[in-house]
Amino acid sequence: MKHKWFGALLVFLMLGVVIAAGCIGGKTTSKPSTTSSPSPKEESQVSNVVIYGYDSEMITLDPSIEFSNSIVTLANVYECLVKYTDKGLEPWLATSWESNENGTEWIFHLRKGVKFHTGNELTAEDVKWSIERTIRMGMGPAFIWDPVESIEIIDKYTIKFKLKYPANLPLIASSAYGAYIMDSKFLSKIGDDKAISDYLNQGHDAGTGPYMIVKYDPKTEVVLKKFDEYWGGWSKDQFDTAIIKIIPDPALREQMVTSGEIHIAKNLPLDDIPKLQQNPNVVIYEEPSFRVLYGMLNTKKPPLNNKLVRKALSYAVPYKDIVNYVLGGHGYVAKGPIPKGMMGYFEDLPTYTYDIERAKQLLNEAGYPNGGFKLVLTYTQGDEAEGKVAEILKAEWQKLGIDVEIRPMNWEQQWALARSDPQNAQDVLLFYWWPTYPTPYDYLFNMFHCENETLFNLCYYCNPTFDKLIDQAVMLEASNPKKAEELYRRAIEILIDDAPAIFFYSPNYIYAVHKSVTGFKAYPAYPEVVFFYELRKK
Amino acid sequence: MARKFWEYIVYRLILSIFVILGVVTIVFFVSRVIPSDPAALWVGAHPTKEAIEKAREELHLNEPIIKQYIYYLSSLLHGDLGTSIRTHNPVAQDLKSAFTATFELILVSEFIAIIIGTILGVYSAVKKDSWLDNLTRIVAISGVSLPTFWFGMILQLIFFKYLGILPLAGRVDSVVILEHPLKVITGFYLLDSLITGNLPVFIDALRHIILPAITLAMYPIGLITRQVRSMMIEVLQENYIRTAWAYGIPPRKIYFKYALKNAIAPALITVGLSFAYTLIGAFLVELIFNWPGLGRYAAYSILSMDYPAILGVTIIAAVAYVFINLIVDLIQVYLDPRIEL
Repeated sequence: MKHKWFGALLVFLMLGVVIAAGCIGGKTTSKPSTTSSPSPKEESQVSNVVIYGYDSEMITLDPSIEFSNSIVTLANVYECLVKYTDKGLEPWLATSWESNENGTEWIFHLRKGVKFHTGNELTAEDVKWSIERTIRMGMGPAFIWDPVESIEIIDKYTIKFKLKYPANLPLIASSAYGAYIMDSKFLSKIGDDKAISDYLNQGHDAGTGPYMIVKYDPKTEVVLKKFDEYWGGWSKDQFDTAIIKIIPDPALREQMVTSGEIHIAKNLPLDDIPKLQQNPNVVIYEEPSFRVLYGMLNTKKPPLNNKLVRKALSYAVPYKDIVNYVLGGHGYVAKGPIPKGMMGYFEDLPTYTYDIERAKQLLNEAGYPNGGFKLVLTYTQGDEAEGKVAEILKAEWQKLGIDVEIRPMNWEQQWALARSDPQNAQDVLLFYWWPTYPTPYDYLFNMFHCENETLFNLCYYCNPTFDKLIDQAVMLEASNPKKAEELYRRAIEILIDDAPAIFFYSPNYIYAVHKSVTGFKAYPAYPEVVFFYELRKK
Repeated sequence: MARKFWEYIVYRLILSIFVILGVVTIVFFVSRVIPSDPAALWVGAHPTKEAIEKAREELHLNEPIIKQYIYYLSSLLHGDLGTSIRTHNPVAQDLKSAFTATFELILVSEFIAIIIGTILGVYSAVKKDSWLDNLTRIVAISGVSLPTFWFGMILQLIFFKYLGILPLAGRVDSVVILEHPLKVITGFYLLDSLITGNLPVFIDALRHIILPAITLAMYPIGLITRQVRSMMIEVLQENYIRTAWAYGIPPRKIYFKYALKNAIAPALITVGLSFAYTLIGAFLVELIFNWPGLGRYAAYSILSMDYPAILGVTIIAAVAYVFINLIVDLIQVYLDPRIEL
C-alpha cells in the first residue's frame, strides 16, 4: 500500500513499453494530429502564419554578397528589376526595358510609387547604387555584372546601362544572386560597405519586397512580417507572417509537414513521395529544376583521354533506368548539358542512349577489346542519388570489363582533388551544376571552356572551336536570340561528339505543401525560394 | 589540509591547460591535413578564381600550416575562436547560443535521471530479487544499452504521432515565441521565461524539452539506478539501519533519509561522470529533435570540414570534460577522507 504511487509509475512505464511495441508492430496508417489544441485566439493567429521547413542554415543577408541558401529569405524581402518565370522575363521592379540594336545599351523604366521598408521611395538612384555596390565589393555573385561599363540615371524612374560588350542585361537583372535592389538613401548613411554588410547581417533589411525581416537567427529560423505598404497590395487571404524554419533532417521535415507543424517542405526522402502523394494532408508539387547531374570524365589521363573510350562509357549508361531507380521517376533524362526550359535545350538533340553492344564495339576500336582497366569515380558523400548513380555505373561498366572504384568524398575534398594535377585526379567525378542566372553560357563556359587553372572545368576539356562558338553566342543572346541558339546548338553538338562528360539527368524539385496553403509555385531560376506573397490561405 | 586542497586544485587546473592544448593541437593538425579546400567552402557555391584566391589570403591558407597553427593559438589566447567557414559568423558567437541550448537540455535530463535513477535504485535494493528488482534491472540495462536515437524516435512516434500530446522537435514553437517574445537573459529558455513571467513560452519550452531530455536521460538513469542499488544493499545491512528498524522509524524515512544519505556519495561520482556522457549523447539527440545546440552544430561543421568550428566545439567539449572530472574528483576527496590528494 505504501508504494501505491510507485506501482502506478511502473504500470505507466509498462504501458509505455506496450504502446511502443504496438507502434513498431506495423501500424502504418497515420492520423492527423496537432501538437496542441489551440484556443480560438491562437488559431486565428496560427492561420496567419506560414512556415517553410528549410534544410540549410543561412549565411549572409547582404544582397551584394549572398551566393547561397539565404536567397530563400532575400527573394521575399528584396526585389530585382526583372523576374524570370516559366513564361520568360517578366516585369518586377522595372515595368519595361529596351536596348539598342546590338545590345550594348539598356534602358529600364522603373515602377512608380514603390516604397522601401524604410519609407523611402524607389528611384533610379537606388538601382545605380545597389548594382555599383555589388560590382565594387566584387564578392560572391558580383561577376554577373561583368558586362556593365557604366550606369547612368536618365530621370527619377529611368536608368541606362552601358555595356562593354553585348549581353542580355534583363536576364542578368533577374538573377537570384546579386541583383536585388536596396535602399541607397538609408543604407549609405550607415557607413562603408563593410558597415552596411554588418548591419544587414544583424537581421536588418532595406528592400521593397512584400515581407520584412523581424527575427533573424541564421541557425534556427527567420521570421518575416508583411510590409503593409507593399506596392502589390494585400488581400485578406494572404499570410501576415512567414517563417523559414531550419530543419536539416529530411525525415523530420516530412513528419512536420504531414502533421501541419510546418506548411511547406522540400528535399524529402524520395522513397516516401508515393506515400506522401496518398496523404490527404499534403499536396505534392513537382517542378523541373535547372540542376543537371554530370559525370565529368578526366580527358587528360589515359584511358579517358581517348575520345572513343569516353563515347563507349556514354553509351554504357542506362539513362532511363537511372531516372526511374534513382529519382523514382521524378526528373528526366538530360538532353545534353542544358536543362529544359532554357535557351540551349533542344528536344531533338541526338544524344547517347543505352547501347552496350555499341559501347563494346567502340572500346574494341579504341584498343581495349575487353576493357581491362580501372577507373576511380568520386561523388559527394551523403548525396544518396549520386551514390546510387555510382553503383549503377559500376555494375554497367563491369559488363565492359571495366573495374570502377567508387570513392564517396566530402564535396570540398573531391573538388580539391579534381583541381590538383589531372594525372593524379579521379577519372570520373559526379557533379551538379545550376546557374547563377538562367543562361546556357553559365553552364557551357564554366564547365567546358578552356581554363588555364582548373576551377569548374573538371573534365579539363579544351576545344577552341567550341569556345569561339559559345563566346559568340552569348553576345547575341539578347539582340539575335535565333542566331545565338544556332551557335549554341553547334557548340553542344561538338561537345556531345567529344564526350568530355556524361549528361545524366535533371531532377525535379519536389515540395510537400500542407493542405491549408494554396497558390504555391516553384521557380527554377530561384532555386528553393518560396515566394510567400503568392501563397493563399485555404 | 586546506592549503593542500587548494594546491591540488591549482595543480589540476594547470594540468588541464596542457590537456586542452594537446587536444587543440591534435584536432587542428588532423582537420587541416585532411585534403579539403576551406577557401572554396568560404566563397560559396560557384565562386570565381579571384574570390577563392582572396579567401585563401584572408584565411591565411597560403601560409605554412605551422604558421596557421600559431595564428590560431595567438587568437585563442585573446579569446577569439576564429570565424566559421560555413556560417561566416564568429565561432564564439555560434557556440554561445548553441552551448546554452545544449546545457539546458543536459541539466533537465540530468535532473530527470537523478530523480528517477535514485528512486528506482532505492526500491530495487529494498525489494532485492523481487519482480520489481528484476523489472528495474531491465529498465536500467535497456537505458544503458539501447541506442539513444532509436529510443528518441520511439518517443516521437508515441507522443507526437500517435498521442499528439508533445511536440516533435525544436526548442520552442515559432508562433508561440512570436506572440510572446522572450527576453533573453541567461539563454536558458525555461529560466528566462520564468524570470520574465512569460508563462506561455515557459509551458511551450517545457513541452519541447520533455522528449529529448527523457531520451538523453535514459543512459544515466540506468547507470544511477545500478549504482544506487548496489550501494543501498550494502548500507541496508549496516547495524544502524537495523537499530532504526528496532526503533520503529517509518520505512520511507529509513530508506530515503538514513540509508540513502550514505549510499548516495559514491553514486554522485556516477552522476558527475554521466554528465560528461550526456554531452556526447546530446550530439545525437539534438539531431533527432532538431535541437539547435552544440551537437547539431558539430555535426554540420564536421560534414563540411569547417575546421574553426570543429576546433571550437572540441575545445568546449574538452573543457567540459576536464572540468567535470575535476569537480568529480574534488567531491570524491571531500566526501571520502580515505582518498589522498
